[in-house]
Amino acid sequence: MINKPSAAGRAARFAFLGIWLVITLFPLYWIIVTSLKGPGAIFSFPISYWPDHISFENYTGLFSHAQFGTYLINSLICAAAAGATATTIAMLSAYVLARFEFRGKGATMMAALVTQMIPSFIALGPLYLLMTHLGLVDNRLGLTLVYTAICIPFCTVMLRGFFEAIPDALEEAAMIDGCSRFGALFRVLLPVLRPGIVAAFIFNFVNCWNELFLSVTLMNGDARKTVPTALNDFISSFNIDWGSMSAAAVLTIAPTMVLFAFASRYIVQGLTSGAVKG
Amino acid sequence: MTLSTPEHTERPATTGGAPRATRTAPGGHTPRKRVFNVRRGLTIAGFLAPAVLAVTVFVYYPMITGSQMAFRHWNLNDLTDTSWIGLGNFRDIFADPAWGTVLSNTVFWVVASIVPQFLIGFAIALWLRRRFRLRGLYQALIFFPWAISGFLIGILFRWMFNGEFGVVNDLLQRAGLISQPIPWLADPDTAMTAVVIANVWYGVTFFAIMILAALQSIPDELYEASALDGAGRVRTLFNVTIPSIRGTLSLTVLLRVIWIFNFPDLIFGMTGGGPADQTHIVTTWMISIAQQGNYGKASALGLIVMATLFVFSLFYLTATRERKGSTS
Amino acid sequence: MRTRNMAVTLAVASALALSACADGGSAGGKSGAVHISMVESLTNPSRTVVLKKLIGQFEAQNPTIKVDLISPPTDQADQKIQQMLQSGTGIDALEVRDTTVGAFSTNGWLHDMAPELKDWSGWAGLTDNATRYSKDTKGRTFYIPYGFYGLTLYYRTDLTAKAGFSTPPASWDDLLTQASAVQKPDLHQYGYAFRGGKGGSNLAVLQIEAYVADKIDRDDAYKLTDGRTIFAAPEALDALNTYLKLFQQASPPSSVAWGFPEMVQGFSSGSTAFLLQDPEVIATVGQSKAINTGQWNTAPLLTGPGGKGCQPVGSAGWGTAASSKHKDETAKLIEFLAQGDASATFTKENGLVPVVKSAADDPFYKTGPWASYLAMNQSPDKYLTVVQPRSVAWWSEWSQKADADVQRMLLGKVSTKDLLADWDAYWTAKWKNQPNQ
Repeated sequence: MINKPSAAGRAARFAFLGIWLVITLFPLYWIIVTSLKGPGAIFSFPISYWPDHISFENYTGLFSHAQFGTYLINSLICAAAAGATATTIAMLSAYVLARFEFRGKGATMMAALVTQMIPSFIALGPLYLLMTHLGLVDNRLGLTLVYTAICIPFCTVMLRGFFEAIPDALEEAAMIDGCSRFGALFRVLLPVLRPGIVAAFIFNFVNCWNELFLSVTLMNGDARKTVPTALNDFISSFNIDWGSMSAAAVLTIAPTMVLFAFASRYIVQGLTSGAVKG
Repeated sequence: MTLSTPEHTERPATTGGAPRATRTAPGGHTPRKRVFNVRRGLTIAGFLAPAVLAVTVFVYYPMITGSQMAFRHWNLNDLTDTSWIGLGNFRDIFADPAWGTVLSNTVFWVVASIVPQFLIGFAIALWLRRRFRLRGLYQALIFFPWAISGFLIGILFRWMFNGEFGVVNDLLQRAGLISQPIPWLADPDTAMTAVVIANVWYGVTFFAIMILAALQSIPDELYEASALDGAGRVRTLFNVTIPSIRGTLSLTVLLRVIWIFNFPDLIFGMTGGGPADQTHIVTTWMISIAQQGNYGKASALGLIVMATLFVFSLFYLTATRERKGSTS
Repeated sequence: MRTRNMAVTLAVASALALSACADGGSAGGKSGAVHISMVESLTNPSRTVVLKKLIGQFEAQNPTIKVDLISPPTDQADQKIQQMLQSGTGIDALEVRDTTVGAFSTNGWLHDMAPELKDWSGWAGLTDNATRYSKDTKGRTFYIPYGFYGLTLYYRTDLTAKAGFSTPPASWDDLLTQASAVQKPDLHQYGYAFRGGKGGSNLAVLQIEAYVADKIDRDDAYKLTDGRTIFAAPEALDALNTYLKLFQQASPPSSVAWGFPEMVQGFSSGSTAFLLQDPEVIATVGQSKAINTGQWNTAPLLTGPGGKGCQPVGSAGWGTAASSKHKDETAKLIEFLAQGDASATFTKENGLVPVVKSAADDPFYKTGPWASYLAMNQSPDKYLTVVQPRSVAWWSEWSQKADADVQRMLLGKVSTKDLLADWDAYWTAKWKNQPNQ
């Protein structure tokens, strides 16, 4: 390979990566340990770094008195549906914004950025009324629609960057070969863009997966709750149920971790996967 | 298939203006023809329509409807009087003694969070670019902070930074770095440090992912050419790597500035703006005002946040675009 | 091939997911039964379980009524309830607290249940306090309390005995003495689980009220009988100075930032010897592995120099939304929850002071940690129950301001004297501007 690093450089690199790994993982470790401590053991001192008795009481509690399984399914459906839909829609708009010059393009980009600046509570009241009129309160479709709309702007900005990195010669060749623009987009650009699309989907998914305020506002019944709502049931200014909260947090993080593990393969593949490598 | 040079990716983001049919795009882009104007217009409109529709209905409409509260007397504790008061809420904000502290805290919060996030994230991305055993696993593991909600991180770090029972003090004491426990969240200075530490921990991931994704798009040929030129690692970084991903870098920084500015969750979970309101940033202050029921003042503050970020983005985009232009 | 797969996968995924999540809104509506939505705000998972059980009993007795319980997380619940009330849909029964009843009723969101409850047989079963809280000053019934909150002193019997004290502290001065004697920071042993963070101002006011107990207006406990604020009384300064000393000499330094979880952990981890809290903490402390039941007990509230203490009663209950289309059915549900076994179960399982007479006679409340509540009840002239002005429109603004002010005082940024002058000015101005409140 090129630019072979020195042994010292390699050591420094792995030391840095190692230290950051420890820093990153410690809070995760801490949540897991806390979730495995039985009631009462959490509040003991001196701090124990490993539970004396591993207890799954916190986890069984989640599934017996709270319908945590239902919440997981709700979150999974809404986040996956909104993530996929937003990615698809954003792909179209990102493509146009990357490939065409037109009046209002700058304004469109800015409008996408502005959505990231809106403090959610301003919009929450009118949104609730709107959803009431549409009959979409306490409805997974309603939440999914709102999530989709919220994901689109950032997703567009992100995908536009990826589109711009691809030479237009690629789809123009395809269009000369008789593809429609739409066809060219899906047949030629999509595979090249795959890592970017996967990354965009993951961002959308994670954002929806963690979303709390809209979910609290728009969902009512126990059968419609999402995971962040359930997680916040254990946290309040009046009380924090550390054991259940940690167990719920572990279960919340697990699916995204799996997703990251799966997706990191794609991200690593690189945007240049089709190219000849040296 | 040959790959484009990095200049190729530096498409000038010319904004606004009429369609330029005969524009000579740099980097060998085929000039577009006016012939397909109607069709082209339809394509643009059709491709943009779903996004524009969804965002208008579910984001902009509620936001604009809600913004009127900023110009009205709107207190949830007493909605019998919701008269229009013009800029009264804004005057209220600027006259508030907390406003100065809140502003300087916000600047500190954004700058002190984003610089380490950027540097550490960049370093991780650079070092992850090269393959090593278990790299995939490593990536999955260090990406995990992104999977947690900001509020939960706040609660978790509040617990870890607890002066008496907190694991941070315990570890520092075990390591012999401190002899007395530090009451982290009880002192305004250390409390601000603690929330920034938590935010850095959380935000590095985003930079690492975005930069890594961009780095993957730099063809190895460029590095090879740079090596043939006898360029050292540092020169390669500045001559090849950074120019190639400048677009991603500047966009990521902009997004992060906006997000960090607009990220009250973590501070709220950790300190609630305390002690003595000394760790409030604009958005946490806004939430605490909203919690008091004064939605008018809180919405006005929300509009100030948006206006500030909007102006900042305009300047930022102009500045970065100019620099971009000079390289292509 | 991969190309098409990718496109197909995305398209199918979104289509499938969208159709999978298209469901028919809130469940039911087909069976002919009347559905009423009930929204709680002080949600906690174990309480929700109890509530669901009681609702199940209610539904069994009233087959034509179905109750859909909505349990948003506590910190987001008020906002959600406000939105529902404002939109005027989807809410029938709701949890109303002393801190929210003022705003909700001012905005016309609450229904006066007096007509529905006029002939209710359950009135006779309620305690005097519960009856009093069921009506506001104008005789309107916006909520029927489900229970009361009230503070008690948790203390470590072993640590106080070791430090040479045979009885628990009776007054705030005793607490300062005992807590200072116990405090040994080098050994991770602290005196008092001080609350400096969220909610901290309540305890400062509690002490001020004890110090001015002889001249306090019991129906508006921020007021003296002469109409001035309690913060204007000279005793208030003594109270606050002692309170500050308690922090400086007998509490963990980081307790400036302590809210509920930290103080409860401070006590149940064995690190602090004293804690002032609501009865719901009895269960939490009872579960602790760090201290066993022989090591702690509760004692009545602390008194001021005049030998009296004030118990500000916190109350919450169930009310009906003005927009409800099923007010009779909702009233029925509220009646059910406020009487007999249902009410007794609810207060007992959630650690609340009961609202029905029959439950107050339960031996459960006469032994162990609950005994101090009985003791306080038996000396009503020593432990005055007082009503704080929690229903004023500016209460939440005040709470936030006061908490921050107390933190400023603890950090030495404002003197106790200036703080009291500021609080006095604040309340005087508020009362002057809104004399009706």
